[in-house]
Amino acid sequence: MSGLASPDSTMTAEEQVAALREELETVRRKLAETYKMASVGKLLAGVVHEINTPIGSVRSNNEVLARSLEKIAGILECCPGAGEAALAKARSLLDSCRNLTSVDRIACDRISSVIRNLKTFARADRSELRKVRLAELIENALKLTQCEFRRRITVESDFGEMPEIECNPDSLSQVFLNLLINAGQAIEGEGKITIRTRVEDGEAVISISDTGSGIAPEHLPEIFRSGFTTKPAGVGTGLGLAITRQIVVEDHHGSIDVQSELGAGTTFHLRLPLRQPDEPR
Amino acid sequence: MQTDTVPRVVVVDDEEMVITSVKAYLQLETEYDVVGFSDPEEAVRFFPENAVDVVVSDYLMPKLNGLQVLMEAKRFQPEAARVLLTGHADKQSAIQAINDVGLFQYLEKPWDNPQLLLIINSAIERTNLLRTLRDKISQLDMAHSHLKEVQARLLRAFL
Repeated sequence: MSGLASPDSTMTAEEQVAALREELETVRRKLAETYKMASVGKLLAGVVHEINTPIGSVRSNNEVLARSLEKIAGILECCPGAGEAALAKARSLLDSCRNLTSVDRIACDRISSVIRNLKTFARADRSELRKVRLAELIENALKLTQCEFRRRITVESDFGEMPEIECNPDSLSQVFLNLLINAGQAIEGEGKITIRTRVEDGEAVISISDTGSGIAPEHLPEIFRSGFTTKPAGVGTGLGLAITRQIVVEDHHGSIDVQSELGAGTTFHLRLPLRQPDEPR
Repeated sequence: MQTDTVPRVVVVDDEEMVITSVKAYLQLETEYDVVGFSDPEEAVRFFPENAVDVVVSDYLMPKLNGLQVLMEAKRFQPEAARVLLTGHADKQSAIQAINDVGLFQYLEKPWDNPQLLLIINSAIERTNLLRTLRDKISQLDMAHSHLKEVQARLLRAFL
């Protein structure tokens, strides 16, 4: 990286300071961007592994499906009399196709999820700041999790009085979705998720609690690190909380902390400023 | 041993979807007996008691990695061909595998089905050849012992 340019000698002292400050800010932005890209690069090896496996499966299944369908067509053409044995074979092949289709669907969902997370992580989007109602973002995230939670998990919301807050609504929605999905996955069988929002010391405070299995104390310092997961293969990528932290702390100048008790549940506390500072950190 | 029955292919991958896909493809194209394990430790427990012709294993798995699985396969089923099927694009692990466990083939995910089938077919052929060779060597050993016995008897008769 090149050093700062010498200020023009015809400028006043104030102008020189302002020019240097502006240049420093540009360098700081570049550094932040380089740091972000380096983090993304570190994630890539793991992400490629995550993507290649489901893609391999999808490709293989598609091939098997195509061949099976050909065979079904052949059997049906060769046996217009529909012999019982031929029909049984056709039914068995059709069952196989159905099973593989369902595996393909799961694999595709995972690819989309990894790509989506990576895109969010790499995005530099201060220009997308808007004033929104936090409750609305949380309610939208809840709608997306409804299918998974229905009949198993009850959700209790307590949205306190709060002005609209300045934020990037897309990335904050991702934060709430990540935390709600984690909460749902922590609950085995039936349980409850509680969401509370309030204003405290001029900041928006959001608490999301679950009655799930809790996080082991030795795992607590690790949970925001990218690549860390205790979920079985195929469920967790270890990116969710790393991205959540990035969005809350780095992009929104907020904070996130967690309280957890094994067997009792976990609460995430988020604090976000109501207005984003004019100068980025 | 497995020579008189259908060849047995063991697939080890912590991702169930890979086992489902490889199994479905091999069942469509072949008559092989395909056994899948998503827990590498279970696969390792399978080797001492069951004849195996080919082992196809993932590399990055919890508890045991692919090299450890293939090492155990080599210990209990020395003639079975060992194939590494990995999404971890790490050439170092491939080289290590070739040197340490006598790898038959290294395949990267996403894999190509016809290529996988070709590898498995060649692997089975190789395993059968090794077994035939072992049988022939043992027949030669027996014939040699028999000849030595005859020679000893002849010497006893004439001396």
